[in-house]
Amino acid sequence: MKYFYKSNYRAGGKYELLSAYLDNELSDEDVKKLEEELQFSKELQEKLTELKKIKQLTISSIKPVQENPFFEARMAAALKIKNPWHYKFRRFSPVFSVIALSIVLMIVLRYNPKIIDRLVDQQKSSITAFYKENLKPLLYTANLTNEDIFNFAFYHQLPLDSKKKQYLLLGSDKNGKQYFEIKDAGFIQNMNNLARFSKNLNLTETQQRQMDSILASYAGDLQAQVLVNEKNTVAINPNIWNFNKAIAIDLISFAQKVNGKESLKVVPPGYNQLPSAKALKQMAKEIKSAKNNKYIFFTSDSIFSDQYQFNKGEFNKEMENWSAEMNKNLKQIDKQFKNFNVNIHFGDNFAKFQKGSSQNKGFNVYIDSNVCRVDIPEIVIPPIVLPNMGKLSEKIDSLIKYFGSYSFSIPNPGKDKNFNYKYFFSDSSKGYKFNYKAFGFDSSFTPGNSRADQMLKKRFKNFSFNPDSMASIFKMFMGDSSNGREMQKQLKNFEKRMEQFQKQMEQMQKQLKKNVPEEQQGKPVEI
Amino acid sequence: MKNKKNEKDLALPQILNLDDDFSLIKRFIEGDESTFSVLVQRHKEKIRNIIYLTLGNHDLVDDIAQEVLLTIYKNLSRFRFESQFTTWLYRITINKCKDHLRKINIRHIFLSFKDSDEEPGYEQSPETSDVKEIVHKAIEKLPDKLRIPLLLKDIEGLSYREIAESVQCEIGTVKSRIFRARESLKTLLKPYEQELL
Repeated sequence: MKYFYKSNYRAGGKYELLSAYLDNELSDEDVKKLEEELQFSKELQEKLTELKKIKQLTISSIKPVQENPFFEARMAAALKIKNPWHYKFRRFSPVFSVIALSIVLMIVLRYNPKIIDRLVDQQKSSITAFYKENLKPLLYTANLTNEDIFNFAFYHQLPLDSKKKQYLLLGSDKNGKQYFEIKDAGFIQNMNNLARFSKNLNLTETQQRQMDSILASYAGDLQAQVLVNEKNTVAINPNIWNFNKAIAIDLISFAQKVNGKESLKVVPPGYNQLPSAKALKQMAKEIKSAKNNKYIFFTSDSIFSDQYQFNKGEFNKEMENWSAEMNKNLKQIDKQFKNFNVNIHFGDNFAKFQKGSSQNKGFNVYIDSNVCRVDIPEIVIPPIVLPNMGKLSEKIDSLIKYFGSYSFSIPNPGKDKNFNYKYFFSDSSKGYKFNYKAFGFDSSFTPGNSRADQMLKKRFKNFSFNPDSMASIFKMFMGDSSNGREMQKQLKNFEKRMEQFQKQMEQMQKQLKKNVPEEQQGKPVEI
Repeated sequence: MKNKKNEKDLALPQILNLDDDFSLIKRFIEGDESTFSVLVQRHKEKIRNIIYLTLGNHDLVDDIAQEVLLTIYKNLSRFRFESQFTTWLYRITINKCKDHLRKINIRHIFLSFKDSDEEPGYEQSPETSDVKEIVHKAIEKLPDKLRIPLLLKDIEGLSYREIAESVQCEIGTVKSRIFRARESLKTLLKPYEQELL
């Protein structure tokens, strides 16, 4: 085939340069030289035209290869096939893993055939243990009263909390299957059932006590029937239905005993066909003695039945400890809570109170149409120019504001804590002095209200507040309003500041004692 | 002009992008085999075109391209970053094509005993009057040494340097071969001057 080009080939000739020139592959210098030659050589010009024509024909004759949309997919497949051994191994690695795992399992099971059962049991026990942890009686907080237990016996309802917002209801359907449900208190209608029951039976005081003791004896047992914990587990002992019957039977038995004729009238519907007293007693005994430690556990993800021993003694001990601790804390709080007297004087003649005021111990608060004065008790102020009195007067000013419209709420006193409030009315022949007691104050003061109203309207007409009745004053003073709380807070702060002030004064007194004449010491100074 | 190009190349610092060939190869060497598919996507058409131009056969293009890419996949971890990836790629492609042509030639030796009178050349009368077809057939008749550099230059637009590296010869040889290819083509097309004008 060599003859194709040999005949036209001119070695080292200009034509080869022309070809390279056409392909843009010559250096600038060669291009310059060649272009100069091209200007004067017709032969070279013709050859260039010829080469251009050939190049153009070459370019136009070849169509680009068509794209193959499947090329990459084929390529990927080929890569997988021709890949090294590790790629193949990786491809089959899940299969190898499964085979290896199966072999291991087969070997393990061959030598430990009961391992799966053990694992399942272990898992099961750990799950149940998890849910059974720290179970506490739900009804403990409900403070079950005899009325509640009575209602449980005959109306199958038990309050679940002390405020009796929710009730546990026991029931049974048409087929006799028992169920329970928890409902809000809205539907509960039968109240004071125990009182009506007692009344209808015409119980004597002794009989009443007997019945109360019967009911109270079930309270502890009932508590252990419904248990809960912080994992939202509710455990119910099916024996609760038996307790329900046992209490009912015990009560009916008692009713028969104390008043056989009337008992038929007072027993709720469904319980009026009574067996003999002996049979009833036997039934109650059987139910009580039937110990059932099997609880039904309702958890967030499963329901199961399992044995559970609720240790009532331990729980009671725990509660006692808790109670003791709480009492201890309360005592500490009580220690910090000082006894003090507050004497409040209302009147339009301020001067009249000045005489007797110094004899009163505790705080003396004088309220007039123009002024409010607070006498501070048991503080020996040395006869010197007192520093920071401006701050104290600011405090008193803020107190006046609250006295103008509201008063403070009085904390609930214990037996030993007396908050003595004395109200004095300046030019009235009748003053009021009373010891505050937490309960029943409304009834104590009701008879005097109308007279007090008239008197107050007269005496307080110039004051910034105009009380409608005596009771309203007490309510204002003892109410739990935000202003009342604020007043209380203010007084506590005030007391603290006074204590600090007293300490400071004592220190100052010690320091100044040497310089102050003895006869001037101990004299009270008015603020 | 060529030197101008080289100066330009030297003047500009080579800034590697995350997706340039070298970066992709580095990532592949580091274990990220997914970069190979990017390289395939980027260069597959060039490879397929070179194969087609070299062999002149559509049917073989995909098979040879696949072989080329498999060879690259296996040897990519040994890439030395001394030349451009495309140069290496074209060289492998041309070599694969040459291997294939060699196989065909060996086969042709045995077949030629039967068809010894079938001699390619301008003596044979053309069967078609279509200009593109005439030129295409004339190019096919060129020997591989002339045809491959000619097509890599005129169709694929490779530089003489790239062609020299791909076919593993001197640049001067490439220049000479391309000129000779054009001269031979002119000779082959001489009987069709009228149609070509």
